[in-house]
Amino acid sequence: MDRRTFLEHAGTGLGGIALASLLGGNRVLAADRGPIRPQIRPENALAARPPHFAPRAKRVLVIFCSGAVSHLDSFDYKPTLFRLDGQPMPGTEKDFLTFQGENGNLVRPLYDFKPRGQTGKMVSDLFPHLAELTDDLCFIHSMTAKSNTHGPAENQMSTGFTLDGFPSLGSWVSYALGSEADDLPAFVAIPDPRGVPQAGVNNWSNGFLPAVFQGTAFNAQKPIFNLASPAGISHSADGAARDALRFLNERHLAKFPGDFELSARIASYELAARMQLSVPEVGDLSRESAATLADYGADDPDPIRSGFAKNCLLARRLLERGVRCVQLFNGSYAMGEGIGNWDGHKKLKEQYDIHAPILDRPAAALVRDLRQRGLLEDTLVVWTTEFGRMPTFQKGASGRDHNPNGFTVWLTGAGVKRGFSYGATDELGHRAVDKIATIYDLHATILHLMGLDHERLSFYHNGIERRLTDVHGHVLTDLFA
Amino acid sequence: MCIRPPVTLIAGLALVVQAFAAPAPVDFIHDVRPILEKHCTSCHGPEKHKSGFRLDVKAEALRGGDSGEPAILPGKGAESPLIRFVSGLDEDMLMPSKGERLNAGEIDTLKRWIDEGAAWPDGVDTAVAVDKLEHWSFKPLRRDPVPPSTSGHPIDGFIAAKLAENGLTLSPEADRRTLIRRLHLILHGLPPAPEEAEAFVAIRDPGAYEALVDRLLASPRYGERWARHWLDVIAFAETHGFEVNTPRENAWPYRDYVIEAFNRDTPYPRFILEQLAGDTVNEPRGTAFLVATAALLTGQIGKDEESKLKARQDELNDMVANVGGAFLGLTLHCARCHDHKFDPVSQKDYYSLQAVFAGVRHGERPIPPSDWDDRQKREPALRTQFAVATERMFAFEPVADVATAAPTTPRRAALQATVNSDRFAPVTTNRVRFTVSATLHGSVEAPCIDELEVFSVAPDRRNVALASAGARVTASGSDAMAMHAPELINDGVYGDEQAWLSNEPGKGWIEIEFARPERIDFVKWGRDRLGKYRDRLPTEYRIEVAGADGVWRPVATSADRAPTKDGAPPRSTRLAHLKGAELAAWAEANGEFTTLERQLRELTQPPKVYAGRFEKPPAVHVLSRGDPMQPREAVAPRALSQVGPALTLPADASESQRRVALAHWLADPENPLPARVLVNRIWQHHFGEGLVGTPNDFGRNGALPTHPELLDWLARDFIAGGWSIKRLQREIVLSATWRQSSAPRPDALAKDAGTRLLWRFPPRRIEAEGVRDSTLAVSGKLDLRMGGPGFLPFAPNFNYVRVYEPKLSFGPDDWRRMIYMTKVRMAQDSTFGAFDCPDAGQSAPKRPRSTTPLQALSLFNSRFVLEQAGFMGERLQRESADSPAAQVRRAFALAFQRAPDAAELVTCEKLIREHGLSAFCRVLLNANELLFIP
Repeated sequence: MDRRTFLEHAGTGLGGIALASLLGGNRVLAADRGPIRPQIRPENALAARPPHFAPRAKRVLVIFCSGAVSHLDSFDYKPTLFRLDGQPMPGTEKDFLTFQGENGNLVRPLYDFKPRGQTGKMVSDLFPHLAELTDDLCFIHSMTAKSNTHGPAENQMSTGFTLDGFPSLGSWVSYALGSEADDLPAFVAIPDPRGVPQAGVNNWSNGFLPAVFQGTAFNAQKPIFNLASPAGISHSADGAARDALRFLNERHLAKFPGDFELSARIASYELAARMQLSVPEVGDLSRESAATLADYGADDPDPIRSGFAKNCLLARRLLERGVRCVQLFNGSYAMGEGIGNWDGHKKLKEQYDIHAPILDRPAAALVRDLRQRGLLEDTLVVWTTEFGRMPTFQKGASGRDHNPNGFTVWLTGAGVKRGFSYGATDELGHRAVDKIATIYDLHATILHLMGLDHERLSFYHNGIERRLTDVHGHVLTDLFA
Repeated sequence: MCIRPPVTLIAGLALVVQAFAAPAPVDFIHDVRPILEKHCTSCHGPEKHKSGFRLDVKAEALRGGDSGEPAILPGKGAESPLIRFVSGLDEDMLMPSKGERLNAGEIDTLKRWIDEGAAWPDGVDTAVAVDKLEHWSFKPLRRDPVPPSTSGHPIDGFIAAKLAENGLTLSPEADRRTLIRRLHLILHGLPPAPEEAEAFVAIRDPGAYEALVDRLLASPRYGERWARHWLDVIAFAETHGFEVNTPRENAWPYRDYVIEAFNRDTPYPRFILEQLAGDTVNEPRGTAFLVATAALLTGQIGKDEESKLKARQDELNDMVANVGGAFLGLTLHCARCHDHKFDPVSQKDYYSLQAVFAGVRHGERPIPPSDWDDRQKREPALRTQFAVATERMFAFEPVADVATAAPTTPRRAALQATVNSDRFAPVTTNRVRFTVSATLHGSVEAPCIDELEVFSVAPDRRNVALASAGARVTASGSDAMAMHAPELINDGVYGDEQAWLSNEPGKGWIEIEFARPERIDFVKWGRDRLGKYRDRLPTEYRIEVAGADGVWRPVATSADRAPTKDGAPPRSTRLAHLKGAELAAWAEANGEFTTLERQLRELTQPPKVYAGRFEKPPAVHVLSRGDPMQPREAVAPRALSQVGPALTLPADASESQRRVALAHWLADPENPLPARVLVNRIWQHHFGEGLVGTPNDFGRNGALPTHPELLDWLARDFIAGGWSIKRLQREIVLSATWRQSSAPRPDALAKDAGTRLLWRFPPRRIEAEGVRDSTLAVSGKLDLRMGGPGFLPFAPNFNYVRVYEPKLSFGPDDWRRMIYMTKVRMAQDSTFGAFDCPDAGQSAPKRPRSTTPLQALSLFNSRFVLEQAGFMGERLQRESADSPAAQVRRAFALAFQRAPDAAELVTCEKLIREHGLSAFCRVLLNANELLFIP
């Protein structure tokens, strides 16, 4: 787009937002590696847009386990840690300090490991159902985070920055690609039935991107706020009000012919009306077969277990309808440390015995269901958490402290190898040592699979071409099928 | 680890070279440049200029880097730092620091080239160094002749001239209805009352417009609108952010300060000074500017050293970034890890600025009341009265019974979460122990006590348990969070945020040892004196004192208390032991006690503001790549070295001296940035777009001004006019440019659809605050109470990690202007947040303007708007004749300040007749016309 064409689009609303970008950013950046600006039509900002290059994945599902799942007790098998159980951690001073303070001795993984599937990869009994999928999963065992505090680390996992106020992965993706779903939000965040995660709405924030790219939060328990027509207003009164509003708005528009912002507002009421039908439809699980409901565990008598299972089903239904990014949360912080999430400081085994079954069966059913329906062909699934945990117990406790220096995430679906493991932590699982991967790398890789160059997907804000990956990130091509 | 070549080898080589006499002179292009490209330019070349040094551009290479010393001394190879560095003669500076070292032959070539005069031909460089200072905004303000214009207003001269260059002209003046609506929406963020609009339309006086402008600028509504723009710039919010996001209870006085500053028209230099160093000029509220952004609380920061240093660096970075963005329009924080890539800001500059703020901490400071001296005089008398009242109350306190094992009728009141008293027979001891054996919610919760006070007997009643009185604390254990350490039980501060919390569910003990043995008879304690928390209340406990023999003896226990209920016990239970006249006497004594207690608190505890707390600044070092674990050289506090007038401070400059000096430097008329940046912000909020499209970035990566002559004229005029923002506002709104019609013109649209050249006034949607405030204004419910704590748009929640759920019912407290809505970081108001409200995570000097279905759902379906539609309907019934036509006319006057046309009237009347007034008002509150600046 040249400056002239640009100015013609720059009048109002979204066009105007891009103004600074074009007048500013491009001038000092090399043309061949400069930002690729999505062509956003102000009157339909979520229209589907082409990626930078052919994508492996059209959609992404992020399953985010809030509170920091212990890699040592789940997916990162450390035989040495079994052997050195009860020994002091070598190479550290006694009672070395981590996030909450002093540490005690090494403690063996609290769940036994078994070889799984064709690959024979060792995975623990913490997640028996997910373990059955081992042959399908692509593990990164050498993840590292920048912060050892939940809020900043969750911020980083969802937005690339430890600070508040930056756009989340889903916002970047919907900014770049728009949506394939006409009557649904482009980006949906599904909070856990127990509440929102540590960094709360930051995880699906649009930051400084226009509000239209913000994640819309709802789950099987709680609908979109203000979605339903108000109680006490009849269908006909609602319709009459809509008609009158449209009439007034169109007369007003006639005084400002061609004003995009005015016509976009008229269109937004129509999209809102369609969403009032389409969102309840997507959330209506009664259309699922009894077998499917049972497979996910949506019939579990425990409301939290069945609640998370229903959220998994909702995720599938959203992806099926073309929603670009779904963020599915497991764990919430409101109840405090480790009670409703994976923050196992004090009594890790006791807490994980409660939390694991909530996640395990429904999440495994979701991955299987996506595969059976052919959705994994072009849907990327990412299972993640904000950091790992220490190979020691905390002093005077039966749990593990925060460890940002080594943890595990896995991917499956579009474009990634199956039954593959990348990188490694040291023999105690304390620090990533082989092929160390950062959250920037993970984001660069996800964007790449979505057909986006993480160095060219940027937005000018306060003097800086902001990217999801800041000034870092390498695409982990080893993971690609 | 690189191996240093033995010096003898180099010397030897030199000898060898000399032995072959008179070799051909070293050629830069063939001999020298390949060596530099092989070993040096990956760090000192086109991409990176480490230490401000590059070896691919002649002028830069010969000038040297940040050290200020040239690295190449022509004719003196052996002395040239370049040769010393590459040959390892300087232990601290071994180059290249990474990658392959130069071999002896290469070193010799470089040395000979320098010895021969370092001939570097002109015009052979493949790169061109950009002079970072060669940029419009770093140059002094221009003084261009004002182009002529019909109106004679300089703004119109500049705008019309640029339009003429493009074959365009200004549009005619908008009609009066439009003008008054536009003025009100922009200057006040509220629509005009219909009567005001009609009066303005009717008046024939040519001075009416100016008079209206002056009236609007004098109104307090003006400050309430424009303060919002400033709060956006600095990401002000009333919570701490990050995962706990708990309230900053006393952040609001800063909001009041900014509103007052705009209303008072505080000259801009003073506005800067009050925000950087208000503590030195009796305006401590201003220094909240320094700590406006999110910050990790103690318990959220790792206990390890690196985590603590990193968190502190993030705080300091926010201060530097906010000063850079808000006042200078520069992205100073880009120089945290390396020299700024685009602008003349070195990494050293960045840390020198950090040194200005190195003594600033987040905290609270008192706002001195105007009658402080008088209060201090009144205090002793009040204290005496209070002591008497305390003893009167003490007399009613039943003495704890520790003799009876399980009293059948409890004599003492049930426990309360706020405060409880235990009176016992006087006893002399030096140690008191409080042991908990159960809490309110069974065995799940660890007990929490915010303060334990132990009183010596009358007449010398003192709290002998205070740490400040020399008492020491030990505990069975405590929660890991710093806000729950045992020492917080006798720190004299009430409330959950400084309270002891046991580390064991349902139990724990705490022991206080006095400085000396004391005769005591009274203990007061509570779970949360501030009344927010009721959980974790100890319900079974015993208080013991140690005898001279070291044996613990109980003086009070919970055994003789009425059973504790969840929630405050009813009054009757508390006073069960009092009857008749005794009860009346108690009521009187209690009334006096409560009044005096409140008076004393008000007298001695001035209101507080969350603002800067200042301490002796530590030494500040440049941090290699911004990493606090890799400090380099120390730096003294100073302002930017290459922009604006020089400002150097001694390394030991006092803490406040640093901030005051920086404030003066920012307001120095010789500093080319602050006035430009400010006038551009004001312009932007009038026209939707600044003359510079990037309000926080006037650097080389920012946008160029569309009208540089006008920008500088405005900046000069602003300074000449005493830095008065109101005067600037007046200049702008009196221009024909501002007063022109916003109607589209096909010829002009074809040339400039974006209206950047201002051939019309650019119409646009109002911001979230305008939408909410207009709704309330039209419904008639707007509450114009100013100042003080705000109202929360979320349901009450006292969780340790705050959960912000939307409020579901609204009342008059919610009908104040939106600027008084308590700003919760990252959480948006459920109805109006969707209108691109900034989340106060990062600075938001220019809001995006997007249109979304969620906005439509919010306005069309939310309880808030529907309630207001109902109120508007009631208002129409009150204020107009009882006919749909009259109601429609009144509604149009209120919402749009105009009469409906015939077709509108028909449609709206029909809606009222068929579905009622509320349905019609719901439509008007959603109409585009209500939400647009015409």
